[in-house]
Amino acid sequence: MAPDRVANALDNLITQIVPSRGPNEGQDSWQARYNLSHELVRAIINSPPDPDILSDVDRAADSIKRKLIQSNPSHALRFSDLYSRLLAVPVLKSKWAILYLLYALADSPDPKAPPPPLSIIQPSSSNYREAVARDAVKKRARARSKSIPLTRIEDDPMGESPIHEELPHKIPPSKEQRRIAEERQQQSELVRRDVSVKSALLSSNYAEIEPSETAILRDLPFTLQGVSSTTLPFTREDILKLPSSLPLPLVSILHTLAEPSLLYRRLDAFCQTPANGLLAQSLRSAISNELRSYLTLVATLEGQIRKALSLLDENAPRGGIGNTGVTLKRCVVWTREATMGLRLLSLIAEESENKKGGQIITLIHNFASSNGDPVVAAFAERLLGSFTRPWYGILRHWIYDGELSDPSLEFFVREQTDNEDTLRIKGNVWEDKYEIAQDMVPSIISQEFAQKIFLIGKSLNFIRHSCGDSLWVEDYSKAASKELRYGDTATVEVWIDEAYKTTMKRLMDLMETKFRLFVHLQALKDYILLGQGDFIALLMESLAANLDRPSGSQYRHTLTAQLEHAIRGSNAQYDSPEVLRRLDARMLQLSHGDIGWDCFTLEYKIDAPVDVVVTEWGNRQYLKVFNFLWRIKRVEFVLLSTWRECMTGSRRVLQSPIPAVVQTWKSTRGVLAEMIHFVGQLQYYILFEVIESSWGELQKRIRKEDCTLDDVIEAHRRYLEDITHKGLLGPKLRHHPSDNKERTTYLDQLSEILRFMLHYRDTIVGLYSWTSAEYTRRQEAELRNITRRDDDGGLTASDNVPSEFPALQERLRQLGTSFRTRLQILLGDLAYQPDVDMRFLGVAMNFNDVYQPARRKSKTAQTTSTAAAAAAGSANAPKP
Amino acid sequence: MPKPDKPDKHAAASQAVDILEEIAAMLNCHMDRRMLSTCISLIEQGVHPESLVQVIKELREIADETRREQQEAAVANSRR
Repeated sequence: MAPDRVANALDNLITQIVPSRGPNEGQDSWQARYNLSHELVRAIINSPPDPDILSDVDRAADSIKRKLIQSNPSHALRFSDLYSRLLAVPVLKSKWAILYLLYALADSPDPKAPPPPLSIIQPSSSNYREAVARDAVKKRARARSKSIPLTRIEDDPMGESPIHEELPHKIPPSKEQRRIAEERQQQSELVRRDVSVKSALLSSNYAEIEPSETAILRDLPFTLQGVSSTTLPFTREDILKLPSSLPLPLVSILHTLAEPSLLYRRLDAFCQTPANGLLAQSLRSAISNELRSYLTLVATLEGQIRKALSLLDENAPRGGIGNTGVTLKRCVVWTREATMGLRLLSLIAEESENKKGGQIITLIHNFASSNGDPVVAAFAERLLGSFTRPWYGILRHWIYDGELSDPSLEFFVREQTDNEDTLRIKGNVWEDKYEIAQDMVPSIISQEFAQKIFLIGKSLNFIRHSCGDSLWVEDYSKAASKELRYGDTATVEVWIDEAYKTTMKRLMDLMETKFRLFVHLQALKDYILLGQGDFIALLMESLAANLDRPSGSQYRHTLTAQLEHAIRGSNAQYDSPEVLRRLDARMLQLSHGDIGWDCFTLEYKIDAPVDVVVTEWGNRQYLKVFNFLWRIKRVEFVLLSTWRECMTGSRRVLQSPIPAVVQTWKSTRGVLAEMIHFVGQLQYYILFEVIESSWGELQKRIRKEDCTLDDVIEAHRRYLEDITHKGLLGPKLRHHPSDNKERTTYLDQLSEILRFMLHYRDTIVGLYSWTSAEYTRRQEAELRNITRRDDDGGLTASDNVPSEFPALQERLRQLGTSFRTRLQILLGDLAYQPDVDMRFLGVAMNFNDVYQPARRKSKTAQTTSTAAAAAAGSANAPKP
Repeated sequence: MPKPDKPDKHAAASQAVDILEEIAAMLNCHMDRRMLSTCISLIEQGVHPESLVQVIKELREIADETRREQQEAAVANSRR
């Protein structure tokens, strides 16, 4: 070795690399730099060479080639070419050394490139401090390298000398320093190296376990399918036994993997259980569908595991399982989503145990609509799609055919089953055949919509069975039937709306044309509510004689004959025979002591489809109103005939020389006129104010455009209620809730008043006969006076006069007073009635303030005032 | 080693330097021809390559630093 040539070459190197003196740099600083470089170079060169590096040309070339293959394969080819040429060149002695040098310097930073921007330290930069520290460290390291020999890091093939000291004054040199350096290097390597290195590290730290992970992996697919295997046996239905020899982390992984297995087993068992009901069956089928896709996943997993196991290298640590890509941890990750699905399914399966039909739908729909997890929602939504199919089948059958094909009671429409009174069900097909089970209405449809669906099916069923129009229903179901499915709620709703309109229209059409609902309602009003005046008048006239007799001696044939007579003799004869056929006169159930008047009733027979509107309750109401009106009519009739007799009689037989008798007759006529006025007002009120106006309302309601049968029924019910309430037939008085003792219904009050009238009339008849008898006697006496045959008879007769007359007089006065009292109480009640029409009745009856309406609050005040009123009233009684 | 003629040897040497230069370029060593031949001659003199690697690296670092200092000085000058 020639030291001077070496020194020369080194000098050259230094001048080449280290920049020459800068323009604004002092001579000494440059010199110092130069000296520093020199010293450094000398120190390095003089230190003993590393014995590890083999002087082998091939090895250096190999490492270069490997490096090039990694970075750029085309360069590698070129290098082999160059290398072979280099070997052929004879001049160089140590080619390996040069190649080694080049290799070591590979990818070094370009010294000519502009310095990195980091060097210009920006105060704002976040790593300012860091950069300063780094600079300081470098300087210190260099300073140290002057005094002590540089430490070497053996296992760094790059020959890089990392700066690995930050607190040099605290750390004793050499050994400690070296240890720290190694640690730091390991750390930085850990960060730098990729996963395969890490797994290699891990596998080297691996302890052998029994059973091995490969064995567990091999058995895992069976476990996931819920089948026992040797390593992982299912000891019981819901218990998976893990080998006790496993380390804890592996056990926790297996726990995670056991969850889907156990869930699968349970769900599989659930699917095998017999289902009660179509929806439960369909739930099982939907669940087993989901399970099938789970099994597909397991099958894929199994394929992967098999493939991985076949690639296993027996010699590698842990059987080399880390390199094949399939580990237990991976399996956990792969089955994660499926596990969540299974969890949800098992929740649904459990919850559905004691639910049925619509409730299950509601349950799943809740998951689909209100669960915040989009995965869960999507899953439930998917489940709903297949699961609700039978339910929609039922729905379709119901809204297009009107048939309920729901063998296990899962639909929200139910056939009423309690047959305790079959008569009632037979009586009202519309109301009582089907009902909505509120708790079965699934949440996918709204309450209002459920009602609509219910109505559609009910109407169709009604049209088919009660209206005998199954032909139309069949045509309709053929024309309109559509496939209903879950998912497109809007379309389903539109279709249902359509079906609803069609059905309702058809039903109303049938009711109006085929079954003449409105004609019947009109007839009911005319005959039962006494709208047909001439007919009623004639009927009453012809029946009057008959009905005076006790009810026991009433015969149906006479009644029907009289009815026929009344029809023939009045305008009723022009009514359609369909209506007249239904009219019937009969007696109510007989009770002893009643006379014909009390029992007689007219009846209008309503049959099958129409009776859903005019229900039995409606019929009773009609009967009630008829009886009441009939009684008023009868009283009126009686009073009027009495009045007529009195008028005719007053010209002849009722003339009396006795002033007391004349006075009595006068006041009697006054009271009679009051009564006639009262009855007339009452009748007018009920017939015109109540019935006619209610009828108008009814007409308005049922002629509406989109009127359904339910609306008609409701309107008719309201109509009847209005009539009974306003027509003073309401069950109880609305006001006076406090003094319940005195509370009587208007009906009672009116009946009492009417009874007084009848008694009064009877007494008048008595007075009449007495007066006429007296008249006769007077005539005879006069005759006798003329013949002068016997005076005694006249005397005896005049003796008889006071014996009967005062009693009659007293009774008449009494009846008149009590009539007036009752009337005043009634007026008092009416005056405080909330209903305007009823107040109006009170006003109409008392238009000239003859009566003092009595408040029922103080009994004493009332009696005195009535007495005064009675005295006044007799003087100026209103004329009818 | 044979003793070839003077121009022959020179040509061979320059050929070798050519090849090595190309390799150096492929490996991104950032060495120019002069520096490369200096290094070759050093190694031919028997300097251990690893020592030489270390020398080059240290020198480069010094150069780096020097240049940075100069730049900073220039920046400071221009600001002034």
